[in-house]
Amino acid sequence: MVLQPFEDFSDVEDLAAGLADNDPAVRRVAVMELADTAAPEAIEYIGSALRDESAEVRLQAAIALGEFDGPEAAAALGLGLQDGDQRVAQAAADSLAELKDPQAATQILPLTRHDSAFVRAGALRGLKELRSPNALTCGLKALGDPEPGVRVQAIGVVGYLKPDEALPALIGCCRDISAEVRRTAVGALAFSASPHVADALVGALRDEDWAVRETAAEVLGRSGFRKAADPLMALLDDSYWQVRLKAVRSLGQLKAVKAVHVIAAALDHQIGNLRKEAAAALGEIADSAALVYLEKLVDDPDPEVRKNVRWALSRIAG
Amino acid sequence: MPLANTATSVPVVVDEDKCIADKGCTVCVDVCPLDVLRISDLTGKAYMKYDECWYCMPCEADCPTGAVTVNIPYLLK
Amino acid sequence: MDDIRSGLSEVECDVLIIGGGTAGPMAAYKARKKNPDATVILLEKANVKRSGAISMGMDGLNNAVIPGHSTPEQYTKEITIANDGICDQAAVYKYAQNCYGIIQELDQFGIRFQKDENGEYDVKKVHHMGAYVLPMPNGETVKKALYRQLRRMRVLISNRFMATRLLTGKSGRAAGAIAVNTRSGEFLVIKAKAVIMCMGAAGRLGLPTSGYLFGTYENAANSGEGYAMAYHAGAKLANLECFQINPLIKDYNGPACAYVAGPFGGYTANSQNERFIECDYWSGQMMQEFYNELTSGKGPVYLKLNHLHEDTANHIEQILHTVERPTRGRFHDGRGTRYARDMIEMHISEIGFCSGHSASGVYVDEFARTTIPGLYAAGDMASVPHNYMLGAFTNGAVAGEDAIDFAAQVDFEDYDGEAIAAEQERVLAPTRREDGIPPNQIEYKIRRLVNDYLQPPKVTKKYEICQSRLAEVREDMQNAMIARDAHELMRATEVASILDCADMAAFASLFRQESRWGLYHWRVDHPERNEEQWKCHVLLSKQDGAMACEKHPIQPYIIPIADDEKDAYYNQRIQAQA
Ligand SMILES: Cc1cc2nc3c(=O)[nH]c(=O)nc-3n(C[C@H](O)[C@H](O)[C@H](O)COP(=O)(O)OP(=O)(O)OC[C@H]3O[C@@H](n4cnc5c(N)ncnc54)[C@H](O)[C@@H]3O)c2cc1C
Ligand code: SF4
Ligand code: SF4
Repeated sequence: MVLQPFEDFSDVEDLAAGLADNDPAVRRVAVMELADTAAPEAIEYIGSALRDESAEVRLQAAIALGEFDGPEAAAALGLGLQDGDQRVAQAAADSLAELKDPQAATQILPLTRHDSAFVRAGALRGLKELRSPNALTCGLKALGDPEPGVRVQAIGVVGYLKPDEALPALIGCCRDISAEVRRTAVGALAFSASPHVADALVGALRDEDWAVRETAAEVLGRSGFRKAADPLMALLDDSYWQVRLKAVRSLGQLKAVKAVHVIAAALDHQIGNLRKEAAAALGEIADSAALVYLEKLVDDPDPEVRKNVRWALSRIAG
Repeated sequence: MPLANTATSVPVVVDEDKCIADKGCTVCVDVCPLDVLRISDLTGKAYMKYDECWYCMPCEADCPTGAVTVNIPYLLK
Repeated sequence: MDDIRSGLSEVECDVLIIGGGTAGPMAAYKARKKNPDATVILLEKANVKRSGAISMGMDGLNNAVIPGHSTPEQYTKEITIANDGICDQAAVYKYAQNCYGIIQELDQFGIRFQKDENGEYDVKKVHHMGAYVLPMPNGETVKKALYRQLRRMRVLISNRFMATRLLTGKSGRAAGAIAVNTRSGEFLVIKAKAVIMCMGAAGRLGLPTSGYLFGTYENAANSGEGYAMAYHAGAKLANLECFQINPLIKDYNGPACAYVAGPFGGYTANSQNERFIECDYWSGQMMQEFYNELTSGKGPVYLKLNHLHEDTANHIEQILHTVERPTRGRFHDGRGTRYARDMIEMHISEIGFCSGHSASGVYVDEFARTTIPGLYAAGDMASVPHNYMLGAFTNGAVAGEDAIDFAAQVDFEDYDGEAIAAEQERVLAPTRREDGIPPNQIEYKIRRLVNDYLQPPKVTKKYEICQSRLAEVREDMQNAMIARDAHELMRATEVASILDCADMAAFASLFRQESRWGLYHWRVDHPERNEEQWKCHVLLSKQDGAMACEKHPIQPYIIPIADDEKDAYYNQRIQAQA
């Protein structure tokens, strides 16, 4: 036998012959081999395997299509998304989310109006990364979908496109009944400096779900909403320390001088993470009123706290 | 010095009922970075031939039928 | 399969890339992209689909320099300081400038980085100064995405071929490489106008504390051939005494992931639940602190997440158990440990060479050129410090683009035909014996000696003992090692590389008569850092058939570092407990 030094794949057509075999296992192997070629001509054959009578073969095809891109792959995956077998449909949804080619959007858009919530959510999830402006209308519409899982994906589509016209609808989502929808919407508002957004984010600081409060606190700091200082200070009473930590960090980012004394209260917390964040925030603000508090912590047992205290002291000094 | 056959218990197990190596699949053998899996001439199914495993899992993740299980090698378990 | 067949084929190409892990695929892709008429071969010991450190993906980019989060100047400064000043900044600075473009390109390949709800990269702050960490939530698809691009670019892929030696021409230029098939023992000679080495770290140098030869931190296929081949070809290797040692989950030997858990509030704690690491950057200094704590009464050391909200801890657990080292979850299930409830015991890894995490590598400039014309190196085996995955991608790209231009200007270099026959004989020698010592026993012995004698703290006398013991093992290897099938032949060939690396580790460490890089080069007989005499590279190479070291000046800094910046850093330091 002569040594075969290079990876070599037979013709796509030869490989596709395996798809006609009586044995479903052989058909599966053919699907995998077709995927390995990475040849665009293979998409059609793999797509045809999505109509195979064996769910195993369809599953393999749905996975394999994740290795391809473009409208043909999208069209085939759209079929897989509607498969009766949940494993196949899930694999198709995952593969759809791998697409990159914006032209694939045309094939996916109609599925956002499908009867099944699973299909609608899968289609929107696929559309997100494509960032196709054509998807905006569908995305906005889907913000009002009856299923929370669909609404979350719709926020993704709209949030990636960042259109100002979507702000009222996104703000509306901050009062959704589902916490996950609210949290995602709060995160998606980070692109805008509008005062309405600031109000919505401040409102979300009082959300019943801690993860929503945490995200809102973070976004307010990142977006630099100065008028959020008071409500963020109020958040330092939050029952959960991870929320307080984000509030402290944001107050630092906002350079909220009036917050020095309340932040300093966090320097006594037993969890080092919060002490460290408080020291860092006091350094950001760099107001001499913090000196008395910081000096007490130069010998803190936690090195991260000590490091941030030293840094804060040097900022105040210089 | 003569050689002995010292037994070792291998971490990777293949469910022979699920494995379709006899239908042409060689995925796990192909992907293993340490090249320690083989298709048995006797059974026509995949198995771990050498106990030299990085417990990294491509064999299990890429197997189309879910036939492979990677366990933690006994010495570090 | 596995029966040894005799055979020798020869092929030609413009650029040969050895190692298809992380840097290699990128080099091959970029070379073909820049010159679609050129022939590019990617040679891989395993299978490009799932080979190398990123075989199952990565938790994230550790050193992404993304506009708005950090600057190339800041990054270059931090790396220079973290590497105790021993740094040719040009290569680091160039990486820092190029890496954002590479991220965007990888994104286009379908490799997903974490984005916020507006689709912006969700960069996390772990270090005190810049923010460099970018998580990869579905990182397990990295290799598949790369493979797809290679197929599309029509790169010639040679899987299951292990390179054993480089070929050099009469003028000293690179001429190609010799490789052996790991399943048949057949040889392949690849003539090339330029060669790029991307063979990863020397990961099988020290022995993991479990005693399992393949339970290494690095992908165990990375046995150090890159370092050994470069050495035998006459290239210079830099700062090999700057070992790689990493903080890991005890016994499992997988990373404990400060970079993943850190942004969520997780940290490394001692048995009193307290943080103890002063040093900001992952470096030898950090490892020194880790070591000190382990050996003090305050050990063991733990990964601590159980102070976080259960949802947060479970979320981290879910990330850590699905990508990079996905068997981690199984390990913890077996031990009954849950991140939300328990502290997770950690330990330090075995030693190795790896610039990805420290600085030991084949000496290269900012074009990834080694000291041999036409020979390049990128990734964990090239000397650009603290490079990690994105460094492998970025410098792989640099190497591919430079090499393809070089190849266009030169013709094939003639090499000595006898070198091939001699190499075949060297590799096949263990198959000619009926009886002897199998490679696994020789390997175990070398690596056990490395642990006993070479692991820091480095003691001169112990190093000398090690050198003479390794010389005995070398005799056994050369005269008594056997290989009974092609697979065992691969292991036997790896053993030779491991032994070469052990010898280089000892030799380079003895040469640098000072302590530097924290635990990585803590010499008990020379406990102080000596800026006057040793603020330089140490280059190791083969001179007249024997190992030699020389001092080599550091390039003048392009990003100056003020004294107070250095001091701010050193003041945080804890001294070694000699
Ligand atoms: C467990 C782990 C976790 C990590 N986590 C992170 C992280 O979260 N973030 C980050 O940025 N970095 C991380 N890193 C570092 C990063 O993965 C590496 O720096 C990078 O992938 C190295 O790329 P490379 O191309 O140099 O080596 P590799 O990707 O290891 O590739 C080397 C290749 O060479 C092949 N090879 C070896 N010898 C030969 C030979 N003789 N002939 C032919 N081929 C050969 C090997 O099979 C392999 O495919 C991690 C590393 C490890 C090991
Ligand atoms: S990948 Fe699975 S089905 Fe294929 S040979 Fe291996 S065990 Fe069998
Ligand atoms: S876990 Fe990794 S090394 Fe072990 S058999 Fe599977 S692929 Fe090979």
